[in-house]
Amino acid sequence: MQQHTTVIDKAAMALSGGLMLLGVVVLGIVEILTGKPYSAAPLTNDAGEVIATPMVDPTLRTGLVLAGLLVLALYGGYRLVAPMQNETAAAQQEITAD
Amino acid sequence: MDGLNLTVAREGLASRRSDKKSQPNGWRHAISLIVPFSGAEMGFHSVGTPAPLYVIVPGISICEVTQMSYQAANPLADEFELDLGGAWTAYWLAFLRVVTGWWFFHAGVTKLIEDGLAYTYGPAYLKQMTGTALGPIPVLMGEHLGWLIQAMVPLGETLIGLGLMVGALVRLASVFGVFFMALFWIGNAEFGHGLVNSDFMGLLLFMTMIVLATGRYYGLDAIIEKTKLVKRHPKLRYLLG
Repeated sequence: MQQHTTVIDKAAMALSGGLMLLGVVVLGIVEILTGKPYSAAPLTNDAGEVIATPMVDPTLRTGLVLAGLLVLALYGGYRLVAPMQNETAAAQQEITAD
Repeated sequence: MDGLNLTVAREGLASRRSDKKSQPNGWRHAISLIVPFSGAEMGFHSVGTPAPLYVIVPGISICEVTQMSYQAANPLADEFELDLGGAWTAYWLAFLRVVTGWWFFHAGVTKLIEDGLAYTYGPAYLKQMTGTALGPIPVLMGEHLGWLIQAMVPLGETLIGLGLMVGALVRLASVFGVFFMALFWIGNAEFGHGLVNSDFMGLLLFMTMIVLATGRYYGLDAIIEKTKLVKRHPKLRYLLG
């Protein structure tokens, strides 16, 4: 099965994938490299006191992922309202003389 | 391998032989290796490899197998034929869909049994979601739409689960599944072992249902999509499948 991707398809894939990978992986690497805590949650001692907070605010990281999901949702909405690809192809079919 | 592919394979080898003199010694070995190397022939199922592929044959030399198949979209195609129409793919996607559906159906129906449509923990849960990436949205939802949340959490979970289990309106149900899981992921904020936790994996499962249209595999959507209504309005397939 061959699927044709348009600029909008590619943009949606790149932007959503980029945002989500930035939030999860790239900033996750930054979190590890900057020392404890290695995850997005603050580190506490036995008394429950916070002894180390994440370098990157988890709100920012989760926000990036949500933004990526939002891009996909918008893309889904666009696909619902835009003409289907085969409709467009049929409409644009050229008639050539032989 | 069919005749067409075989022809392509021979053409590939012929052109490679013509370049033989200009290649370093290693390539000459490589060319002669391709013939007995059965993988080379199998590889021609995918014509139009975007870039040359190099493989190392242990103890012999480095082979350039420019024409060998490497399908970026389905790297296992040559080995197991895991294309979306394959039997194992259909089996696994249907299984995954039913299990995901059961997960939500169980969560919803047990709430319905215990609390009916008055699941008071729903609005309370949203009200405590302060300082998240969703801003004031969950708190406002909890404060102003409490009556709706109380009913929609158990009902929504049940219907999402039911839809996935029978394979009906899977994409639409999964969109709501993603919405639920996004709230759980942010609200639970169990990030002690990183952002990728079980809530996030659940979210990704629902995304997978959407992308792969899993309702078409042993699901009712496969039948619904053949109805006249869907054929008249093909965009409904974006909600089905």
